[in-house]
Amino acid sequence: MNEGNGVTLAKAVEAKKFSGTPGQIRQQRIERVGAIVFSALFAVWMLVNLFAAPEQFAQVAISGLRNGLIYALIALGYTLVYGIIELINFAHGDLFMLSAIFSSFFITYWMGAEESNSYGWFAFGLCLIAVMVFGAVVNVLIERLAYRRLRHAPRLAPLITAVGMSFLLNFVGLKWNGSTPRQWPTVIPSGDINIGDVRISMITIWLFLVGFPLLLALNYLVTNTKQGKAMRATSQDRDASTLMGINVNKTIAFTFALGGAMAGAAGLLYQQSIGTTSYNLGFQLGLIAFTSAVLGGIGNLWGAVVGGLLIGLIQGLNDGLPYAFGQAWSQSVVFTILIIILVFKPAGLLGKAVTEKV
Amino acid sequence: MANVLEAQNISVQFGGLLAVNNVTFDIPKKSIVSLIGPNGAGKTTFFNVLTGLYKPSAGKIVYGGKEITDLPPHKIAEIGIARTFQNIRLFGLMTAQENLLVAMHSHLKAGITATILRTPKQRKEEREAEAKAQEILDFAGVGKWTHEFARNLSYGDQRRLEVARALALNPKVLLLDEPTAGMNAQESQVFIDFINKLVAERDIAVMLIEHDMKVVMAVSQRITVLDQGEKIAEGSPAEIKSNPRVIEAYLGKPKAARK
Amino acid sequence: MAKASVANNVTRSNRKWIIGYSITGFILFITYQFLIPWEGLPLGIYDAVYRWMPPTAINESLVYVIMALGLNIVVGYAGLLDLGYVAFWAIGGYTAGWFMSEFFYFLNINFFGSVPAEAPGIHINFWMVLIIGGFICALFGVLIGAPTLRLKSDYLALVTLGFGEIIPQVFFNGENFFGFNISNGTKGIVGVDSIPVGVKDLGPFDFGWKLLIFLLLAAVMVFVSLRLRKGRLGRAWLAIREDELAASMMGVPLMRTKLAAYAVGAFAGGLGGVAFATHVNGVYAERFNFTISIFLLAMVVLGGMGNVWGVILGAFILSWVNGNGLSAFGQLYNEQFGTEVDFASFTFLLFGLVLILMMLFKREGLLPESRLKLMLHEGELDDEDASASKKKVGK
Repeated sequence: MNEGNGVTLAKAVEAKKFSGTPGQIRQQRIERVGAIVFSALFAVWMLVNLFAAPEQFAQVAISGLRNGLIYALIALGYTLVYGIIELINFAHGDLFMLSAIFSSFFITYWMGAEESNSYGWFAFGLCLIAVMVFGAVVNVLIERLAYRRLRHAPRLAPLITAVGMSFLLNFVGLKWNGSTPRQWPTVIPSGDINIGDVRISMITIWLFLVGFPLLLALNYLVTNTKQGKAMRATSQDRDASTLMGINVNKTIAFTFALGGAMAGAAGLLYQQSIGTTSYNLGFQLGLIAFTSAVLGGIGNLWGAVVGGLLIGLIQGLNDGLPYAFGQAWSQSVVFTILIIILVFKPAGLLGKAVTEKV
Repeated sequence: MANVLEAQNISVQFGGLLAVNNVTFDIPKKSIVSLIGPNGAGKTTFFNVLTGLYKPSAGKIVYGGKEITDLPPHKIAEIGIARTFQNIRLFGLMTAQENLLVAMHSHLKAGITATILRTPKQRKEEREAEAKAQEILDFAGVGKWTHEFARNLSYGDQRRLEVARALALNPKVLLLDEPTAGMNAQESQVFIDFINKLVAERDIAVMLIEHDMKVVMAVSQRITVLDQGEKIAEGSPAEIKSNPRVIEAYLGKPKAARK
Repeated sequence: MAKASVANNVTRSNRKWIIGYSITGFILFITYQFLIPWEGLPLGIYDAVYRWMPPTAINESLVYVIMALGLNIVVGYAGLLDLGYVAFWAIGGYTAGWFMSEFFYFLNINFFGSVPAEAPGIHINFWMVLIIGGFICALFGVLIGAPTLRLKSDYLALVTLGFGEIIPQVFFNGENFFGFNISNGTKGIVGVDSIPVGVKDLGPFDFGWKLLIFLLLAAVMVFVSLRLRKGRLGRAWLAIREDELAASMMGVPLMRTKLAAYAVGAFAGGLGGVAFATHVNGVYAERFNFTISIFLLAMVVLGGMGNVWGVILGAFILSWVNGNGLSAFGQLYNEQFGTEVDFASFTFLLFGLVLILMMLFKREGLLPESRLKLMLHEGELDDEDASASKKKVGK
């Protein structure tokens, strides 16, 4: 190219720090100010509580992170599906709920594993496989029966269908589990490890021991396998992928299967750690998990993980610390975070702002 | 020679891609100007900047002496800059008349209460708007489809309706994005006559993006050529036709020079 | 050959529906006000009516109708998927609770209230509270809508859902909201003033009159909807619903127009909330939950998004089925077959299926707004019509 091009290019790129017309600059300033203000508030809040009650802080943070791991697993399902077909699968949280109920029936009823011994751990392992298959199969079925037909319909239609599907799954949960919550014994060993004044329970350790390999496995599947590449291609450009010979239907089904499997695993972990199942579990946790996915950057897998852990942390801190809103406001805090992100930085922490070309 | 619309040193950057590079472009009053260039030259991007759909990374737009670069698209439409779309974007589920009435939205005054109560003032306003819409529909040659869903019109009529809708904004500048796409020679001629009649009868300037060279040569008073985001030539149709840079942009370097 | 004028067709059919609505309403009123309480009524009929269509169920259904009409403006006209409409219902209800009860016992304000002047609390006339509630809700409609204006439809749905959770939770925890008691929390506000109609105050058993009033409120929303639809705001809403970008390029100010949709839609929530408070004689926090928002959405979807008459039917049918129909049917079924199936618990199944099946098979609703039918399917231009129209143009 000629010199003129290069010089003007350099100038434009340099101006990228705060680029654009006065109007654009104003908007970018708002976003930057918002980011600084909220991060500062958050930091101040954390520090105040940290100094006021350090052991409590650590304790609550750890239990928060533990919940966050479960949120992360569920969030992965949301982000995978949204990434590939731009649909918020409202029913995903309810799939998690059904997986928890499935686990309860599989490991506690059917296998009778109620204690922490080698049989119990064996049952856990078996159930983990079973529930992931369960989650995958149900999710793929849902996609096949309800969402596939609406793939080219205007946005409103699949959204409404997803909401309806959520209700349907709620009904199944209601019939399966009953209208009142049930408690379940666990095969995870009891006891804790003490670091100073901070107690880390075996349950927490167990969850991370199970959860992290799952995350790594998922990451490997998505980045290194042929199917994973097909997934990423399809999520960027469905038509081009078809032209490249990718079977879009299969790829989407595969994505749903992965997301469903993660929800399944989350269900088992929840049933064994928190120990209760109820039919409206899905709604509560589903929305929290979706907030996590959005916070981290929807469509971004590590974003879902970071988002999940972060939301879990914030929720734990909010529920347990002296200078916080308390558990009664837990939901509102999470939803407020969701609203703030969507308004100020819809791309999330790890997502990229996509400038749409008209 | 007053300019009704001026674009000064416009650059548009998408991520790492510089789509429009320091382009200056004026539209004189009551003129017909065209913007041409090979595919990917940045014409539509520049066009979108003129109508406020994109905000430029650098440069400014001046309309009637005032800078309007920051205005939102609906405000730009309100002050008299109207456009059509490359792929027709009519409100298919609304009638032809309703399409025009929507375009008159910013010029109508009735508020919520007045509408609910159907005050005499509101009713009068609606009647007058409908009459004006009919007049424009007739002028554009689609007067018989007033109450037909826009979606049901033939392709040619839809194109005409799009122009009619843009005219309903009572614009000083009309920006047409590939208006003769899909038209045959006869329809294009009808269109050329229409544009000439429009500029002759009203205080309006027209700018076109076009690929059909016959139309461009026949109707334009001035032609601007973009290539790879830059302005490479500007002048009368005769000048442009014989400009070597223009020919090179469209056809590539002549064989001899390539060796 | 006379062209079918779309506009005239719509006006004619609206007129038919208005007449139908008025006649049905009148018949219902006569039935419940005079026929049912009549001593000469055969016991069998009385029992059947009370089992299948007790006046309380009808009145409650009408409240849902009012709110569905409001949601219809947001979702049906403007195409904004609002999943948190219950927030407006709650705000409307608590407006009634604040201004028509002894909640603020430490104050004594009486403005044409239907209780003696010395009664503690704020007691403003029901008809005024209706308007107050409506406008407070409209204000909140703007507040809730504001963050959603730049968002795509899915994110918009989520933000509204978020508010639909936050606001009821505020009332749920409202006993101690930064030190103030704004809602009595889970205990609720018990005891709402009665409705004054000229010479008397409506008591808890004046079902017929209340029915008339609720019908009237619904009629108001229908009136407002139809009038706005005909004017420039309605056109702007439809344009936004169909192609937001093109609308803005034609001069439609997106933010203002969307906010107007939220405000007008929310107003209905206020009306419904106040009406419901008088219906159940109180404001109870557990009543306001996310499921209600989805019920309303199902009603709008079933009826036909954008068509007020379809929405009325959809709302009436679904709320009746959910409130009374399922259990009454269940009773009948169990009596017949000696079973013990709990039909009322099938609500989730019913609403879920309605949403799913409607979207899969009859997206335009039971009474489609004619244009919606075109939009939600691949348009099938009748080949005959196409060639006929070409002939007319002389091609």
